[in-house]
Amino acid sequence: MMRSLWSAASGMIAQQTNLDVIANNLSNVNTVGHKKEVAEFKTLLYQTLQARTTTANGEQKPIPAQVGLGTRTASITSYFNQGNMLASDGGITDFAIDGAGFFAVRGEDGNTYYTRNGHFILAVGNNGLVLTNSEGLPVLDVNGRPIELARDIQSSKITVDARGNFLYPDATGNLQPMNFKIGLYQFNNPSGLNKMSQSLYGVTQASGAAINENNNNNIKPSTIRQGYLEGSNVQVADEMVNMIIAQRAYEMNSKAIQASDEMLGQANNLKR
Amino acid sequence: MVKGLYTAYTGMINQMNKMDVMTNNLANSDTNGFKKEGATSQSFDHVLAIKIKDSSDFWLPKGLGGMSMGVQIGETYTDYDQGSFRVTDNTYDLALEGRGFFAVAFTSKNGQSTMKFTRDGAFTVNTEGYLVTKDGDYVLNAETAAGGGQAVPAGGITTERLPQGAVRVNPNAKIRVDIQGNVYEDENQNPVARIGVVDFADYNYLEKYGENMYQPIEGARVQASTARVRQGTLEMSNVNVVKEMVEMITITRAYETNQKLIQTIDTTLEKAVNNIGAI
Repeated sequence: MMRSLWSAASGMIAQQTNLDVIANNLSNVNTVGHKKEVAEFKTLLYQTLQARTTTANGEQKPIPAQVGLGTRTASITSYFNQGNMLASDGGITDFAIDGAGFFAVRGEDGNTYYTRNGHFILAVGNNGLVLTNSEGLPVLDVNGRPIELARDIQSSKITVDARGNFLYPDATGNLQPMNFKIGLYQFNNPSGLNKMSQSLYGVTQASGAAINENNNNNIKPSTIRQGYLEGSNVQVADEMVNMIIAQRAYEMNSKAIQASDEMLGQANNLKR
Repeated sequence: MVKGLYTAYTGMINQMNKMDVMTNNLANSDTNGFKKEGATSQSFDHVLAIKIKDSSDFWLPKGLGGMSMGVQIGETYTDYDQGSFRVTDNTYDLALEGRGFFAVAFTSKNGQSTMKFTRDGAFTVNTEGYLVTKDGDYVLNAETAAGGGQAVPAGGITTERLPQGAVRVNPNAKIRVDIQGNVYEDENQNPVARIGVVDFADYNYLEKYGENMYQPIEGARVQASTARVRQGTLEMSNVNVVKEMVEMITITRAYETNQKLIQTIDTTLEKAVNNIGAI
């Protein structure tokens, strides 16, 4: 039938996806460590409408008359810009990352997952207090092991420095290292990480293997801020403008479908 | 009489084709670097009409003058006007200001890589640090892009220097791109690569490939580009919604007019068939 019907339909589908992405950003505007996503579009293939074409002054053009067949969603890309640092109310185990690193947690299936959400808690484990995220997944240190603190410590006295070392005051009040260091990992291509629920990311071939900041001198290490949480990097004003664009573009395409439909109706009415 | 029927029919087909071209603009109103397209109409060649077997003039054939029997698409043109910019502050989002295209190596299924050109600068880096499009096609560096030669051969510019001819950066460094397309890492003053941006003498030799890409055909000439590269920015589609909507009204009404014309001719034919000769 008419190409325009399908081109306009492809435009509507693309804008639906766009709106889905925008809605997800807005609903996560208060999610700690959330990274916004943006849908991007590409043209679909082109068809030759007419092989011989002539310009206004009668010369033949080297290319045929081409018509595009609509649009498609090319990618939904995560933007890993730094979110705002939000002071958390007395959170000893709240951390924010300043830089490109990720925290690592051990999932229930035994695999390692990565997150920017530094809202952690101390849970009672077999050998002491275990640092876990709010889902209870243990946070890993630089050696990929869970962080288990001695049972008799006072958790409110724990200090974590900018490099992620756990410090505890001795009898004289001097901070002594506890021999635990929060692991931070970077990726060659963070956009390639597999986004999962609970603010977790999984390693994929596209992201490349995790690079341990502790063992690699070629990368710029991130710093840890204790008592802060990283807010979402979603800009509400941006999303609102994007929503207007998406809605209007959707509307426009629906108008094109209506117009094509009317044209087909008129063609049908030719024979009385 | 029946001639007019077909003339009006070509009018309807023509408006339908114009509608197809216009709808593609609307569908791509949110596509990065999209350039709007339009179609022109062109009348069929004029033909000479001759009156024959006319007894009033000694049965001599008599010229009536020229007439045109319909309309077709003249050409589809692309409006290469600058689209507006959207600031994203994303390191690998690049926009071109002025005439020019990013050179991209597109590898087909049988493994042959040809150079394609795009205004869509939404790039990313892969795990090896190569600058790639969102579909994973390499973004070529300046030498490779210019090395395609001046005149484009048949079948487009093939490129074999992959991935050496692509832009490669250290993915964990802070990347800075200046307006000439030079890529710097961290505070380094020496560029590690230069992004290939080229231009063409005559855009009539650029064919649409889809996927936001253009491919030059035989006869195209590659030349240096004067475009400035803007980092952290994307060029949006240059589709003007108001214009497209007005265009849509024009098309649907012109279509309707031609439809009415066919109906009118049909009514006349009906008279000729049923009423003439009726007692």
